[in-house]
Amino acid sequence: MKQKNDLRLTAYFDVGDILPHCGELERDEIVRKLVTDIYKSGRVPPNGIDETVAAVLSRESEGSTVIMDGLAVPHARIEGLAGPRMAVATSERGVVWPGEDSPVHVVFLLLIPRDKPALYLQILRALTSALKDDATLRVVASMTNAGDIHRFFESGKAYLPRYITAADIMSRDFLTLKDTDTLQTCVDTFIRHQVGEVAVLDRDGDLKGVVRAGELLRVCLPEYLLWMNDLTPIANFEPFAQVLENERRTWLSEILVKDFPVAEPDTPAVQVAGEMTRYKSSKCYVREGGKLVGIVRLPKFLNKIFRE
Amino acid sequence: MKFNPKLLFLALIVAGVSLGGRAAGLAENFTQTTTLAVFAGVIATTLFFWERRVAAAFIGVSILVATHAMTLHTILKATELDIIFFLVGMMIVVGVLKDLGFLTWVIQSIINRRNMTGASFTAILCVLSAVLASVVDEVSSIVVVLALVFQVCDTLKLRPHPFVLIAVMATNIGSSATMLGNPVGIFIGNKAGLTFSQFLVGATPVAAVSLMVTLALAIVWFRKDIRSMTLAMARHRRMGLGPVLQIPYKTGLCILLVTVSVIAFHHQIEHMLALGGEENKNAFLIMTPLIMAGVLMIWRPHRARHYVEKDVEWWTLLFFMLLFAIAGSLNEQGITRNLANSLTSHVTGGPTGMIPFVLVIASLGSAFVDNIVFVAAFTPVIQSLVERAGEYSVLWWALLFGACFGGNITVVGSTANIVASGLLEKHGHHPVRFGTWIRLGAIVGGTTALVAWAMLVLLPTPRPAAAGGPGTGAETVAPAGADMPSLNE
Repeated sequence: MKQKNDLRLTAYFDVGDILPHCGELERDEIVRKLVTDIYKSGRVPPNGIDETVAAVLSRESEGSTVIMDGLAVPHARIEGLAGPRMAVATSERGVVWPGEDSPVHVVFLLLIPRDKPALYLQILRALTSALKDDATLRVVASMTNAGDIHRFFESGKAYLPRYITAADIMSRDFLTLKDTDTLQTCVDTFIRHQVGEVAVLDRDGDLKGVVRAGELLRVCLPEYLLWMNDLTPIANFEPFAQVLENERRTWLSEILVKDFPVAEPDTPAVQVAGEMTRYKSSKCYVREGGKLVGIVRLPKFLNKIFRE
Repeated sequence: MKFNPKLLFLALIVAGVSLGGRAAGLAENFTQTTTLAVFAGVIATTLFFWERRVAAAFIGVSILVATHAMTLHTILKATELDIIFFLVGMMIVVGVLKDLGFLTWVIQSIINRRNMTGASFTAILCVLSAVLASVVDEVSSIVVVLALVFQVCDTLKLRPHPFVLIAVMATNIGSSATMLGNPVGIFIGNKAGLTFSQFLVGATPVAAVSLMVTLALAIVWFRKDIRSMTLAMARHRRMGLGPVLQIPYKTGLCILLVTVSVIAFHHQIEHMLALGGEENKNAFLIMTPLIMAGVLMIWRPHRARHYVEKDVEWWTLLFFMLLFAIAGSLNEQGITRNLANSLTSHVTGGPTGMIPFVLVIASLGSAFVDNIVFVAAFTPVIQSLVERAGEYSVLWWALLFGACFGGNITVVGSTANIVASGLLEKHGHHPVRFGTWIRLGAIVGGTTALVAWAMLVLLPTPRPAAAGGPGTGAETVAPAGADMPSLNE
């Protein structure tokens, strides 16, 4: 599937929007300076400068916008903005960014129309593709001329992807169990980590399925018991007793759910949303070559699309 | 929009039946041809577009009224509301049984059994499916029995497909044993004017023998799977097949026994209440489930709405009503009389000669079209024949067994089959393949049809009481074709 777009990052900022070597400025000052530059360039957001700066800093106060070492992307979603606007600041020595241990060398200020939910993620992907490692970032930070910086993004890989993918919105930290683990281990994991669903891998590390607390309940309470309106005959959890008795001898492979939402890293994010809706699930498992590489979680997905 | 080739088949069927009917002399004018086309269209829709069958029936009824094939009055009369009431009442009673834990107890009492083997489980499954289908309806029965199959097979980590097939086939056979088992049963019984006990005497022996034959076939056909189950049960003996529980069942059992007993004695009760005549035919048979449902809903008022809204299959019943009306139009327009004339002139041998003919036609028809659809279509033809000579009443039985046993031939042959396929998918298994089903289905369907044919020819079958009210007419029991000369002779 063609993922590359013809749209470059430089479509959203000019040479005049670049502030090389911003020197001793602090974060809030850089933000104000960059917003002011955007206003000077003429394509003005409907809000005033102060209001726009406040929106960017308000987002900043909710959580750091440093997306990789040395790169910060302060941003805000602006009502009524005709199209995205960007401004860039660089600092070879680095800017102290509140909440971050390492200094920031490149700052991309980003203003996005509120009605373009995917644009922020598309721009982030373009940025991370262009500034793919620390060395490239340092090269950009050391450039003294705004024109050079603009040329770098003009000639580099700074294309916006056609759409955002599962890889853009997935978390790479997740719990797993093995299919040779027992029901006891599974119950312990549910309780210890306060989760209701865990991915299960086989001996080779391939994703085999998921175990769900709901499925565990189904094992304890077969469907035909739930036909009864009055469950007092099993009020003392009698059906659970047998499961408890056998929990060390029941392997996870026996209660594995094999039908669950799955995506590849380059699956469009909207298809991931479709999978989660189809399965009425709040998670979609992202695998590559059979191996689990990430999990898209619904709350994070909603945050990325609607809020971040 | 992409062209669906099924539409072409549907159009060909409608055109073929209409033109064929015209050529064969079944339809002699425009109204009759339209009636035949509407009927063929609705049947073909159930075959190709199952989910749109109610919509097709709505449109079909409207066309019949618009073309003067039926009037609103005759449509309402033909909807067979008595049978619909009976089914509503039974569905509510079954809902209460489920709610009270009776059906859970049925499953639990088998799971609690120790020392079962694959063969004994298969035998229990067969008998349970048949008995349950004969006292509650076939759909409720298959849901219960498959819950048992899934519990056992999931616990033993076995493929459930062979046992699902066995259960479905036994259910279809068992559903023919009484008037309660299948909408086809109550429809035929009511149309034929049979009492519950007459139906029992005529149908249960054939169903029982057919069940035994099917059990033997299943044990041979699935011997490897049954052996695997025996081994798995032996390995699993200590852990059991599921939670061992004591479920209260007495209230549910009492309700079921009372319902079946009152239905069984409906003829005597009607006699006591002087409910005689054609207008009150089988009145208490129809009313008993409604009375029971009423009493149960008074007893459990907080669940009454649930029973009516969730346990009654309104969608299916609505389809039945419209279908009965459309089938009634064939009678109204004299098409069934023409067909009966044609049959008696072409099929020799009188009633006895017609038994295999009806059995085969009903079996093959029910294999591909929902059996109630086929029975509704064929009933007016048999009514026409019976009006000419009482001996033709043996054909009611041929129609019953053909429709019920033929349902085993394909995966779409009966509602129980379709429900079973859906449940298999819901439990994460692939449905039984069409080819797999038809191989065993054809053997079971063919063999049981042969059993029914032999028993209908050799044994006496009950005939409806003569008109004039319950108890007033002789309940004749005669072997098939003993021996009224056929209309040809």
